[in-house]
Amino acid sequence: MKLWNKIRNLLNREAFDRDLREEMRIHREMAEEKLNQLGTPKEEAHHAAMKAFGNPSLAQETSRLQWTFFFESFFQDVGFAIRMLRKSPGFAAVAVLTLALGIGTNTAIFSVINGVLLRPLPYKDPQQIAVMKENESLPNVIDIQRQTNAFSDGGAINAQPMDYTSGPEPLQIRVGLVNSGFFETLGVAPTMGRIFSEAEDVRGGPRVAVVSYQFWQSHLGGDPHAVGKPILLGGNSYAIIGVMPKTFVSPREHADVFISLWVTDPKTAVDRDVHFLHTYWRLKRGVSLEQAQADIATVHNSLAEQFPAVEKERKMQLTPLRESLVGDVRPALLVLFGAVGLVLLIACANFANLLIARGFARRQEMLIRAALGAGRSRLIRKSLTESTLLSFSGGAVGLLFAHWGTWMLLALRPEELTWLNGIHMDSRVLLFALAVSMLTGVIFGIAPALLAARTDVAAALNEGGRSKTASAAGHRIRRILVTTEVAFALMLLMGAGLLMKGFSRLRSVNPGFNPSGVMTMYLQLPATRYAEIPKRTRFRRDLLARLNSLPGVQVGMITDIPLGGNYVEYDFVIDGRPPIPEGDEPKVQTLSVMGEYFQVMQIPLRAGRHFTEMDREGQPLVAIANEEFVRQFFPGHDPVGSRIRWARDTGPPRWITIVGVVSDVKHSGLNQPTDPAVYTPFPQADEAWKRWMTLAIRTDSSFSGLVEQVKAQVWSLDRQIPVSDVQTMEQRMALSFAQQRFYMLLLGAFASLAAILAGVGIYGVVAYTASQSTHEIGIRMALGGQRRDVLRLIMAEAAKVTSAGILIGIVGALALTRAMASLLFEVKPGDPVILAAVATVLALVALVACYIPARRATQVDPMVALRYE
Amino acid sequence: MEPDFLPGTLEMLILQTLSRGANHGYGIAQHIQQISKDALKIGEGSLYPALQRLLMNDYVIAEWGVSENNRRARFYKITATGRKQLSQEKRKFDALLVGIARVMETP
Repeated sequence: MKLWNKIRNLLNREAFDRDLREEMRIHREMAEEKLNQLGTPKEEAHHAAMKAFGNPSLAQETSRLQWTFFFESFFQDVGFAIRMLRKSPGFAAVAVLTLALGIGTNTAIFSVINGVLLRPLPYKDPQQIAVMKENESLPNVIDIQRQTNAFSDGGAINAQPMDYTSGPEPLQIRVGLVNSGFFETLGVAPTMGRIFSEAEDVRGGPRVAVVSYQFWQSHLGGDPHAVGKPILLGGNSYAIIGVMPKTFVSPREHADVFISLWVTDPKTAVDRDVHFLHTYWRLKRGVSLEQAQADIATVHNSLAEQFPAVEKERKMQLTPLRESLVGDVRPALLVLFGAVGLVLLIACANFANLLIARGFARRQEMLIRAALGAGRSRLIRKSLTESTLLSFSGGAVGLLFAHWGTWMLLALRPEELTWLNGIHMDSRVLLFALAVSMLTGVIFGIAPALLAARTDVAAALNEGGRSKTASAAGHRIRRILVTTEVAFALMLLMGAGLLMKGFSRLRSVNPGFNPSGVMTMYLQLPATRYAEIPKRTRFRRDLLARLNSLPGVQVGMITDIPLGGNYVEYDFVIDGRPPIPEGDEPKVQTLSVMGEYFQVMQIPLRAGRHFTEMDREGQPLVAIANEEFVRQFFPGHDPVGSRIRWARDTGPPRWITIVGVVSDVKHSGLNQPTDPAVYTPFPQADEAWKRWMTLAIRTDSSFSGLVEQVKAQVWSLDRQIPVSDVQTMEQRMALSFAQQRFYMLLLGAFASLAAILAGVGIYGVVAYTASQSTHEIGIRMALGGQRRDVLRLIMAEAAKVTSAGILIGIVGALALTRAMASLLFEVKPGDPVILAAVATVLALVALVACYIPARRATQVDPMVALRYE
Repeated sequence: MEPDFLPGTLEMLILQTLSRGANHGYGIAQHIQQISKDALKIGEGSLYPALQRLLMNDYVIAEWGVSENNRRARFYKITATGRKQLSQEKRKFDALLVGIARVMETP
């Protein structure tokens, strides 16, 4: 009944209002008449009746309130807030922009976190999938499958470059060599056709291939009849049997086509000591990771006993799939998220400051409202409505910023940060932005609203519309807010400063070679046509001869180029040293080179000699060591003339004589320690799998045309060999700083934003103080005060706020930057130089921010200032 | 002076007044003031909101009519629900008074 009446009233609101007004008017007239009858003069009766009635509009308002739904006053408040904000567009713009910056950066980074850390992985029950941290060999995988009970499936994959020669020109694609359990472990079925069965995944099985959706689209033209068609991979024909779904990607390795390891490379498949497979393990329901790990440990112990040379020194450790995918980016992301969180807090502090200042500007209005009967709660609601409206507008503009921001992130993104790929705005990101906007408006609107509603009408009116107590409280809050801002900004600047220092350290690392003027490209000889080692050596020799005939170039080649991410380690034994138990031998990075590799890279020779044409097949085996090798294994001795051999070599010992020492090269990355390394000449390397090489070519002229010339020379020898991974050495260097640079740029941008916002905050407080003390300044100036003294007076305020903020910030920075330790290269989190530098920067920002309003205050004409009130 | 009523008391007084016959706002206020010998003066700021509450709950209905001295006025009439509500309120009020009296009379 009540609800129905309310609705009817809502629909007839106008008639209702008219009735009520009329009724009250009649009421007054009746009272007036009565007084008249009692003999009161007309005029007086009218006033008396009016007075007796009290506040008619209040009575009417209260009466009307009985009927209204709670949200009606809300809409009224919103409408009012919109009108108020339209009247002060400057205030609204600054507030919205400030919040938009805070919310925008947060939403952008949240969309990254959402895409990377929270996104569901495209596999069935991904929480059931574990990853072995170490690479495995196929015999080990089979043993684990047989001897454990914890897993329902085990998948193995090694992605390798392979020649695809069914297209218009030979191409190098990435091929995943897998076992048949691979797809089942991940729990993904093909969209078309089928995956290969266990029966097909055997030595001598049929050559069949499953292709990725992307490969199907770009190389097979999305042919709906692709299944059954042949493709040429590495010189062999494979029949396509299935196409994977669009969303499917191999967890950590990029592969266009999947083929059976057993079928393609049976020799390596049976090799227990080639640990080259990434393996994935699906846990049975109810089996915990710990139980599975215990199971694996049992297998590992028995393997270590059976094959000490191969397995003793190794480990087998399981880790959850997601952890293995995002484990290393999580700290960086959390640091960035923390950073934008601080930016948001600073923005919010500024927002609250603006609201408080506005509250004072509108003091008269509030007082009048209170005097007219507006309740405290209604006043608070009004202010909150306004702040929430602003924060939602800020959120909307922030979403726009976030949209640009993620676009910029993706544009700036170094190629190797593949985890950035999955970023886009989805409903979760929108919800995040909405929640942040809501909380910002309410939490940071509430203190200003309470302050504004603190209306002691009588006292305030007596004071001429300025309540000193409320304004003092407000000012105290503003000072606290600005102090906090300065502290947060310092923490952010500190973080950015540390990253910058780390980055400059990284840039100044000597890579051990001279990257400028060097072009590199990757070649791999197909196993089918280059099975014999002499054939490979002939190809290499011929290629080097042809390339050397090009004008103005110097040519060399190496198995794995520095900063390329690959190397092979061998266990080795030094001649004449006490014997070492099998499996405990030291390891060394081994690289094969040919041509003038050291001269091209300008890696200086420290002792002995370079390789010559005479260090070839059939001649005594030789090697060149690096300085780190000498430091670790020949401390204080000249190694030249000493002999080593590979511990895993079978047959009679083949001793390799060290003939030279070259200086160290940062092979695995500029931020990595240098490993001991040994170089051998390509013609003496007889490993069956060493079919690849990277050419390094130094030219004194430009690179333009060089790549085409080199390709032409390669293809003049063999038309079917793809030339890939064409990059200058300088590009490779840049790539290796890319990640650090990216984090530094982002954090630097956030920190600058923070410093600017903090500056704006300081400016606001000082400008307010200055305007409040105009009167006082006038008196001082009139009494002969110096401009400088006045300036000092105002600046002292800013100095207090800033120095408190800086001190708190230093404490916070010392605590917080520890979380970044993993992102820093050769810099300690509490680096005092950086700390001093950022404190200075912030002090300068503060100085500029308060100098402008302070100066303006001193330029006030004393006469004007004295009259000012 | 407007008395501080217990919540609902003003509504009860209005219903009691209207149970004697329909009346307009001014009439209701006058009646309560006269009967209470000026002890209860009802300000319009409370009277009209209270009347709205009664209307909303269907305890009274309002109709425009003509007053004793030929004025247009809005007359309030108690409904059956209103009467039921009144007797309920009376019972509660009596119990409350007895309770208060007992407390106050105990030395």
